[in-house]
Amino acid sequence: MSALLERIAGEAGAAQQGLPHRDARRRALEALTRQGLPSARDENWRYANLRSLERQRFTPASGMVPASLELPPALPGFTRCVFVDGHFDRARSAAPGPPLAAAALERTLRQGPDERFSLLNAALAAEVARVKVAAGTERVEFLFVASAPAGAGASYPRLEVEVEPGAGLELIERHLSAGSEGGFVTSAVEVHLAAGAHCTHYRVQDLNPRSILFDTLGARLDADAHYRLHALHTGGQAARSTLALTLGGERARVDLAVAALGERSQVQDTYARVEHAARATRTHQLFRGIAAGRSRVAFNGKIVVAHSAADADSQQSLRGLLAGPEAEIDVRPQLEIYTDAVRCSHGASVGKLDEQMLFYLLARGLARESALRLLKWAFLEDVIAGIGQPALRRQLEARLARLLPEAAPEELP
Amino acid sequence: MDSTALLEIEDLEVTVEGRKILNGLRLSVPRGQVHAIMGPNGSGKSTLAHVLAGRPGYEVTGGRVRYAGKDLLSLAPEERARAGLFLGFQYPVEIPGVNNVYLLKAALNAARTAQGQPEVDAFDFLALVREKMRLMRMEDSFLSRGVNEGFSGGEKKRNEILQMLVLEPTLAILDETDSGLDIDALKIVAAGINTLRSPARSTVLVTHYQRLLEHVVPDAVHVLSRGRIVRSGGAELARELERRGYDWVSGEAA
Ligand SMILES: Nc1ncnc2c1ncn2[C@@H]1O[C@H](COP(=O)(O)OP(=O)(O)O)[C@@H](O)[C@H]1O
Ligand SMILES: [Mg+2]
Repeated sequence: MSALLERIAGEAGAAQQGLPHRDARRRALEALTRQGLPSARDENWRYANLRSLERQRFTPASGMVPASLELPPALPGFTRCVFVDGHFDRARSAAPGPPLAAAALERTLRQGPDERFSLLNAALAAEVARVKVAAGTERVEFLFVASAPAGAGASYPRLEVEVEPGAGLELIERHLSAGSEGGFVTSAVEVHLAAGAHCTHYRVQDLNPRSILFDTLGARLDADAHYRLHALHTGGQAARSTLALTLGGERARVDLAVAALGERSQVQDTYARVEHAARATRTHQLFRGIAAGRSRVAFNGKIVVAHSAADADSQQSLRGLLAGPEAEIDVRPQLEIYTDAVRCSHGASVGKLDEQMLFYLLARGLARESALRLLKWAFLEDVIAGIGQPALRRQLEARLARLLPEAAPEELP
Repeated sequence: MDSTALLEIEDLEVTVEGRKILNGLRLSVPRGQVHAIMGPNGSGKSTLAHVLAGRPGYEVTGGRVRYAGKDLLSLAPEERARAGLFLGFQYPVEIPGVNNVYLLKAALNAARTAQGQPEVDAFDFLALVREKMRLMRMEDSFLSRGVNEGFSGGEKKRNEILQMLVLEPTLAILDETDSGLDIDALKIVAAGINTLRSPARSTVLVTHYQRLLEHVVPDAVHVLSRGRIVRSGGAELARELERRGYDWVSGEAA
């Protein structure tokens, strides 16, 4: 066991003493120590900033809710639930938070090696954000606020989503920081869509620029379920998202759209694994990433088509934009196919801003900075346009407009 | 030298990737006039247009260009545009994700701001664009599309002229705006160009054929060959060129 893992086991083991469902948590921690932490030599973890773990404290933060907290304006039609450092904030929420069930923690044990950080979350999550839709369509917004500075403890937000047969859910999941000090967040989300269920899931990772995030999302889809995931990764000093989606029922379908922005020395690493485990399942994967400054932005999109998944169909369009001389961007489509009758197409490219487009805009009198920003905006357009909630889209557009780095072209390699 | 000239090019020499493309080009375009520049493929017409608009990749190794009393070559491309210079591209680029009407408005406001005018009112702007679109016989749906995205060759050229009509440049340089147009589209484009003719404005029509010049009658025609103007004349020169071919002038210059 590495010294780091030993320290994690020690800190987590001690912290578990005071938490409910100790057995389930102990098993999660055991599973983590058995598997060990990923290393940078692991192909799927190359870009994650694993070294940042060395500096963290793993004991859960106390969940002291700050008296003043600036939250984004509520969205019409959505029920809001707020969690601070993984603890339910009753005063700022419109719905009560249900108690954490041991079964939920146990489920984590069945997950694959890329989902190791969800074991850490299961070992230490305080309360769970939970939404279960039995019929009709519901709209819920979860705000996960990281409040404690890293030295004062870690934040373990946990969200579980269950959509029953034929029901629907529009879900907003946002991660943000209460202050400007860096926090350490290990979040886990589990989604289950039963037969014919549908879910549109908006994920907004907007932590402050000093935070560290390890995030795991697992989703299982039964027959005819449809899952749309829109993710916008802009925050954090180093952020790693692991998305593990399983199309377990026939004709299940996932549309995944991820946009990531890196600037300064940020790391934005996303690993998305979609497993087609049943007939006629479909995936559409879209990634747009912009790396400016000295940032590293990576998207690794893996599609696995099992023997049982004849007539599967997958499309990947992964594009990266290099917007700084010292920035790094990598997009990787990967296919692992165990059956014949499949349609898999992928396009992947990394490039700089198009000089011809830039000159066209300049020749129309646009200021260089505006032209660069406009082109970056256009680059993200495919992902942004897919956000079907107008109020949310406007909020995110406004946020992006402030964020888009304006690299001078001389800076471009 | 004509002191009222809006554009004055003296002995311009331009090198692209180590090759001299323009070689001592002289040209003077007075205010209020339309000049045509004709010449065989590869003679340097687009190079001239691009250098005037400030496209990177061209090295000016000699000569001067004065535009409205300014040293044109010392200005950044966006400054030239804001000073009223407009390049109609031979091959307008598609910019998916950038809205047509957004670009029009940003371009107009950039020019207005540079001239110390307030930004255009949203309502007035839309009315202005709709009026110009009617002139260019463009459909409303065009407004919401990406810049040149999925446009046919002819639509792209009409879009260039639409932008010109909205921006009302002092000097328009139109690079083969006529090529690839059918006769109806050619007439629409010509009408667009003619509406901007005024004593205060000048136009340089870069063209390969004299077809456009039947509809936009130029005040002068210049023949560009091997990087310099080898012959200048009136509108009749275009017709003569059409009859006798470029070999006639090129041979004469050699
Ligand atoms: N970017 C470039 N790189 C290399 N050669 C170029 C470039 N642009 C133009 N040229 C060359 O310069 C010459 C003139 O081209 P151009 O100005 O496009 O001519 P025209 O517009 O009259 O057809 C041609 O020989 C062309 O091949
Ligand atoms: Mg040309």
